[in-house]
Amino acid sequence: MSNTNESNFYQEYEVFSKKSTKSPVQHQFSLLAPNEEMALSMAVENFMRREDVLDVWVVKRSDVRRMTSEERAQWTKRLDNKDYRKTKGYGYLRQKWKEKEQGMLDEKEILSWKEVKK
Amino acid sequence: MYNYIEYGSSEISNDNIDDQEKYEQFMARIEVGEKIEPDDWMPEDYRQGLIKLISMHGISEIMGALPEKEWTPKAPTMKRKLGIMAKVQDEMGHGQLLLRVAEDLMQPYGKDRGDIMEDLLSGDLKFHNVFHMPTKTWADAGMVGWLVDGAAIISQTNMLDASYGPYQRALQRICQEEVFHAQHGEAIIMALAEGTDYQREILQESLNRWWPSLLMFFGPASADTTGSSKQNIMIKYKIRKSSNEELRQAFLDKYLPRVFSLGLTVPDETVHYDEAQEQWIYQQPDWNEFKQIIKNKGPRSKERLRLREIAYENNRWVRQALAKDQVMT
Repeated sequence: MSNTNESNFYQEYEVFSKKSTKSPVQHQFSLLAPNEEMALSMAVENFMRREDVLDVWVVKRSDVRRMTSEERAQWTKRLDNKDYRKTKGYGYLRQKWKEKEQGMLDEKEILSWKEVKK
Repeated sequence: MYNYIEYGSSEISNDNIDDQEKYEQFMARIEVGEKIEPDDWMPEDYRQGLIKLISMHGISEIMGALPEKEWTPKAPTMKRKLGIMAKVQDEMGHGQLLLRVAEDLMQPYGKDRGDIMEDLLSGDLKFHNVFHMPTKTWADAGMVGWLVDGAAIISQTNMLDASYGPYQRALQRICQEEVFHAQHGEAIIMALAEGTDYQREILQESLNRWWPSLLMFFGPASADTTGSSKQNIMIKYKIRKSSNEELRQAFLDKYLPRVFSLGLTVPDETVHYDEAQEQWIYQQPDWNEFKQIIKNKGPRSKERLRLREIAYENNRWVRQALAKDQVMT
């Protein structure tokens, strides 16, 4: 077996795909391929045999700056003190508006405003 | 699709003080259900146990496609041909996924899938006992999908919460596809079971032949039987949840009533469910034969390995063509 040569021959690619126009690009898995054209066609063979797909990305793993193990540990230990960034930190307004006989303009309400009266 | 824990080296101790602290953090993480990623610190016996388990699982997917692909040209209808082709393709896809997972684990040792293939051909890496067996009739194509994949589903769903992230994620996809495989097998079995006398006859004959292999599938109940077992360490590290025997019992629980409902029997008159012990009683398969089979001394071991070797050699030109100016030997 031509082990050494084939080790250099294959590169690691990360595969991403997008299911619909509304969905974000999602990581699927990784694969080995000798170049990006092969990586793309193998990605389709390997991961899209059944599912609907609008787009597929292949990215050489060495081009991805991912968090290290230590960085991930640090980020997952962040304090849960972000209420001021979230609507949760302003939840008391619901009661205030209620006292003034008004409904709360919450996320559900605001995201339903797709059209206004002509 | 196929794995059990059966062989492996003895436990490795983590006696370094620094490692001891890391070890405790590691255990605390998997205790709360966190997933371990390839670049996280992990105990040496965790890494080595996973490499053995996953490379065997991956290579068994590929070796498993070999007996099944024999039936692609012989499938009785176009629909069956398309079905079995899709299944064979899935198995190769599973092999790819799992080899990627194994390769990332082997990286610190400077090894890759070339080494896995070499270990397979040299006999250092075992493949699953069921794929050393011959297939004789179309009923075997159904039996492999229904009961062999059924057994695989039992052992793989048991690892859907595995502590190692990449394996756990690969298994989600694999198990989803296995549901199709199982139903593909059931469809073949159902047609034969409801068919002519001859069809029922080949179905029963097939089950009789596969029965010992199906019992062996989950591996021996304890290391006493074959000399070594890694099942305890895999449970400790939250890769799997249940023992070999618990998985075998779950398989018998789910599948024996279905076997009997089709008017089929198993070649063991002692088989029955014991209400008091709450388990199936069955005759042990010949574990010495099992040891021989996984040492590549099974009925079709050599032929299947040779097929794998031929496939590797025959596709060399593709790798060479793609490598362009890289010199390939």
